[in-house]
Amino acid sequence: MYSIIRPNAWVALKLPSGNTKVLQVTPNTTISLGKYGSFPTNLILGRPYHVTFELQDKRPDENFSRLRIVPADELYAEVFAEEAAADCVTPAASSGGGGNGGDTVISAAGGDEFSLVDDKGNVVARSDREVLDESARQTLTQDEIEELKREGSNAGKDVIAKLLLSHTALDQKTSFSLAKYKLLKTKKYIRRFQVLPLDVATFAQWQLDERDASKILDMRAEMMGLVGCWANVHFGGEDVFLPDPNASPDQGPQACQPVDEKLLRGRWLVVDDTCGLLVAAMAERMGVLHEQEDSGAEEENKGPSQQLPVVTKAEIQAETPAPAPVPSQKDGDTEMTDAPGEPAPQPSDAEPKPKKPRPSDFMIPYSQTNTITVLHSSSQPNLSFLSYWGFDIASPNHPPHPLLNHLLTLSWLQLVKPELDSSYSTPPPTASPETLASWKPSRRGNFHRKRRRFARTRYIVDSTRAGGFSGLVCASTMDPISIMRHTLPLLAGGAPVAIYSPTIEPLATLADCFSVPRRTAWVGGGAPEIEGLSNEELERWQGNERFPLNPTLLQGVSIQTSRARRWQVLPGRTHPLMTERGGAEGYVFTAWRAKPAEGKVAAKGKFKRRKVETVGRVEEATPGVETPASG
Amino acid sequence: MNSKPEVTISPFLDPGPRTKAHSLAILQLSRDNLLPVYLQPPTGEHDGYAEGAVVNTRYGSFPHSTMLNVPWGSQIRASKVDTGSRGRKRKRDGADDTSREATAAASEKESEGPGAVAVATPTKENGGAPSVKQAVADSSGFIHILPPTPELWTTSLPHRTQVVYTPDYSYILHRIRARPGSTLIEAGAGSGSFSHAAVRAVYNGYPSAGQRKGKVFSFEYHEERYHKMKQEISDHGLDGLIHLTHRDVYNGGFLVDGRSPQADAIFLDLPAPWEALPHLSRRRPPPSLWPSGAPPPGLDDPTKEWISPLHPRKTVHLCTFSPCIEQVTRTVSAMRRLGWVDIDMVEIANRRLHASRDRVGLNLVNFDRGVNNSAKDVEEAVTRLAEIEARFREHAAKARSRAAGAAAAAAGDVDMDSDDENAGEAAANGNAPRPTAEEEEEIKITTNRLPPWMEGRLITRGEPEIKTHTSYLVFAVLPMEWTEEDEAKAAAKYPVGQEQKVIGTIDKAIRKQERREQLQKQQPGSKKARRKERDEKLGEVLG
Ligand SMILES: C[S@@+](CC[C@H](N)C(=O)[O-])C[C@H]1O[C@@H](n2cnc3c(N)ncnc32)[C@H](O)[C@@H]1O
Repeated sequence: MYSIIRPNAWVALKLPSGNTKVLQVTPNTTISLGKYGSFPTNLILGRPYHVTFELQDKRPDENFSRLRIVPADELYAEVFAEEAAADCVTPAASSGGGGNGGDTVISAAGGDEFSLVDDKGNVVARSDREVLDESARQTLTQDEIEELKREGSNAGKDVIAKLLLSHTALDQKTSFSLAKYKLLKTKKYIRRFQVLPLDVATFAQWQLDERDASKILDMRAEMMGLVGCWANVHFGGEDVFLPDPNASPDQGPQACQPVDEKLLRGRWLVVDDTCGLLVAAMAERMGVLHEQEDSGAEEENKGPSQQLPVVTKAEIQAETPAPAPVPSQKDGDTEMTDAPGEPAPQPSDAEPKPKKPRPSDFMIPYSQTNTITVLHSSSQPNLSFLSYWGFDIASPNHPPHPLLNHLLTLSWLQLVKPELDSSYSTPPPTASPETLASWKPSRRGNFHRKRRRFARTRYIVDSTRAGGFSGLVCASTMDPISIMRHTLPLLAGGAPVAIYSPTIEPLATLADCFSVPRRTAWVGGGAPEIEGLSNEELERWQGNERFPLNPTLLQGVSIQTSRARRWQVLPGRTHPLMTERGGAEGYVFTAWRAKPAEGKVAAKGKFKRRKVETVGRVEEATPGVETPASG
Repeated sequence: MNSKPEVTISPFLDPGPRTKAHSLAILQLSRDNLLPVYLQPPTGEHDGYAEGAVVNTRYGSFPHSTMLNVPWGSQIRASKVDTGSRGRKRKRDGADDTSREATAAASEKESEGPGAVAVATPTKENGGAPSVKQAVADSSGFIHILPPTPELWTTSLPHRTQVVYTPDYSYILHRIRARPGSTLIEAGAGSGSFSHAAVRAVYNGYPSAGQRKGKVFSFEYHEERYHKMKQEISDHGLDGLIHLTHRDVYNGGFLVDGRSPQADAIFLDLPAPWEALPHLSRRRPPPSLWPSGAPPPGLDDPTKEWISPLHPRKTVHLCTFSPCIEQVTRTVSAMRRLGWVDIDMVEIANRRLHASRDRVGLNLVNFDRGVNNSAKDVEEAVTRLAEIEARFREHAAKARSRAAGAAAAAAGDVDMDSDDENAGEAAANGNAPRPTAEEEEEIKITTNRLPPWMEGRLITRGEPEIKTHTSYLVFAVLPMEWTEEDEAKAAAKYPVGQEQKVIGTIDKAIRKQERREQLQKQQPGSKKARRKERDEKLGEVLG
């Protein structure tokens, strides 16, 4: 994530209204903030995120507003004044009367702007606090100043109005009745805004509050945090790539690189019906969502930095304002960054680099580690929100992106019945090098593309079916029991499971599959249908009505929910907010994949009934099986 | 392609497929009863156990040898252990709590109350040839063995202080943007609960010499806690990823060896965050912004260069964690004066829910104690009542017919008669004799009813006790500093005056017009793209 606003980045503008506007900051455009005004985009490019900008009045010779960075002291002027006022109430401070406080004539609420409006709504005069303070000191009597300090009183307003009028030419000429005018205390910061980097947290909040919350299944920040932690999603190891099998064009499937289970590490299995938000959240946690995660602002080192800032070449390159990434049009297509061992993809191919030998068709571009495998129910995954981070799953010639080598997708059909999927089961075309050479480039391109697609599909399906995943993460509209039936066998022993659901019912039904009574019946011979099955067969138990899942495959089943209650913190007025977002509450199911011992393992009976009184409900008869929450 | 030398990766970050000797494992005794154990290789008799090191729990005894080199997640059977010479040594173990295993034992005690014991014997070898007795499986009792994660560690670690639990730290790390590659400052380290979660979040590989990688800089002034934590970092393979400093940060600040950690994320779990905040400034704070009105000793020389612990060119995200509202007020006030923005205070309420079956019904079998044998609905109640009435009538009729024949019969019938009377009464009270266990089994098998674990309504209910307050979380952001020089450079690089279109408007008419213009400009390119798309579709069909 960058600290400097880069050309063509997606950003979130936080407006004075509290609303957020998400847009891509294209150079040489004008950003309109609607009623708040507009300004050239270039005025925020190369500037830092999170500072507060203020739109200034247009200069006479310019047709746009310039921006000013508002110092923090100015942002808080009003609060500081209140704090000072509160201090004055304390005996020690208030004893001074007008003494010390006379320094600031009107309480130093620097953010205020006053306008005097006539009965037709025209602004007659406008001035801000500093100017008024200055002139008050010069023109007002001590009594009037005292009156002014009594904030809120009508008398004070009259004095301000009088002051304002003194700034116009009007007061001399006409004797206005003040009653004809309205004094408006406007806030200058209505023209203030902030630019935030569009990371997962900011994006999700915007979706939730201002767009379509149902698209992300109402997943609040609390839930994203819980799911990510309980599924133990984190950087899964340095990239490792399979060697290029260097298959010649006349070689078929047998020339594909076989899956090597020993190399597979740090892989998470995902079912995502949040249009890619869940995948984005995981990718962010794994360090494969943003380019160059660890780079600071790319401005050449400045200031006294004690540690050498590590500036990568790509970072410096990124400095040159480049147009929006255009898909490269090398011969045929590249589909993926076929660049194993080259972790820093170049942001644009503007600069010619020494060309590496082209990888063969059967080269697998995916890392063996630190990957996300998405299971989808349509023929294509819906990960449309990834486009906010510059990734488009459907784009054939994708510019470099860290997800290219770390995101694998396959359909449920490819997982469950790969033989019925034509892209998996149809062998790749073959041709002798001579025949190939005789073809037109477009035909050749097609040929290579098909072979590449075949090798990749085969690899994704085979490696997924090989299992050994480090965790399962779900936010899906599908029945979690059916998801588990097919994914539980794919999890490594001890791997965590975290399933988000906007409502609790599906999760409760799932938890019920692992209830103590059901488990007891399963291990205690209450299931004649499993008599004589091997452990291997039990692992792949396809379920029936009595036992939808093998109840011994999960350990520590638990359901939870979290809610952040937001507070207002102001001098003397600290309290929780009066309203918050309602709607779906959101729940997370968590557990770990267990490897049951072969044969029957009886529970130890010694501690039976220990907590029956305190819990008052079904108490565990078996250790090693979840108990109803213990106190 | 990975030319890096093999480093031992922390079991928290990559546990591998199987358990390993000398590595941390979490034994799950029941859902909330976790026991951390460092697995010892079997090297001979230990502390009287012929099987080597043994973990004793109320679910049985588990020799380490039965837990080594098994797949994570394995269910482990209890073993019959040979206690041999152990009896006498027991007491001494309890007193010795500097050994890590003893700490583990303590945590099992703590969570289970008196009476529960988990003892793993000390690790020192007893010399002599290692001869390890093969463990013999016990007939009952088991546990599961899980790879360590911050979540499991948080609930099983030896408590030395209050700790930050998963509902809080998961939200905090999300909000302060702790990600692979981040540099995070934490104070105080306390029991290390937050540290473990933080290091997982920022981890993006172990740094080789001179390399900058995601890292946690942690500070703790309590000496004993510092040493314990230092040991844990080492035991957990986190050296190089967590850098722990023994320091009072109120006075000493956050530099490490006089150099800046260059942090971009900060978490303060301290009694007085406002005392630490001035140190976390980009510029030397004026004396008035120090809580005492003057900088602490060592920082009071204005001629010395001010070194900020923050990353000079990154936005910094901060969270403080305080239980009391007064602390929040002071902290927020200090943050404002030190230039922090987007100050936001929240508290997290987390609830756990348990799913179970609410088994209510007159005909339900008493299975696993969880049944309420009253009518499940009005229909069942009415049917039942009607049955009783019918039986009564039947009984009365019988009695009448008996009475009719009584004149002719012998007096021996009286007994039987009173029996029937009782039966009727019992039925009336709804206390009909219940079937025996075998009969119930019979019913289960012969009738076509649901298995007992599927009967009743599925319900969820909360824990008997819920945490309603942990602490207040105050979040804030410190943007990078922006000088006039910076501004001049940026203005030169991105000059204004070439604006072509307006973005961000809600005005649809403008947008349409623009799109039209854009399309016209892009004609040639888009034709090519279309052709490509068609080719591809064709390829798919033919393929
Ligand atoms: C509540 S504990 C932190 C718990 C920790 N966050 C965890 O999750 O395990 C607070 C710690 O801060 C330490 N501490 C208090 N004041 C300190 C100071 N001025 N400098 C460094 N550490 C301090 C205390 O010794 C204590 O261990």
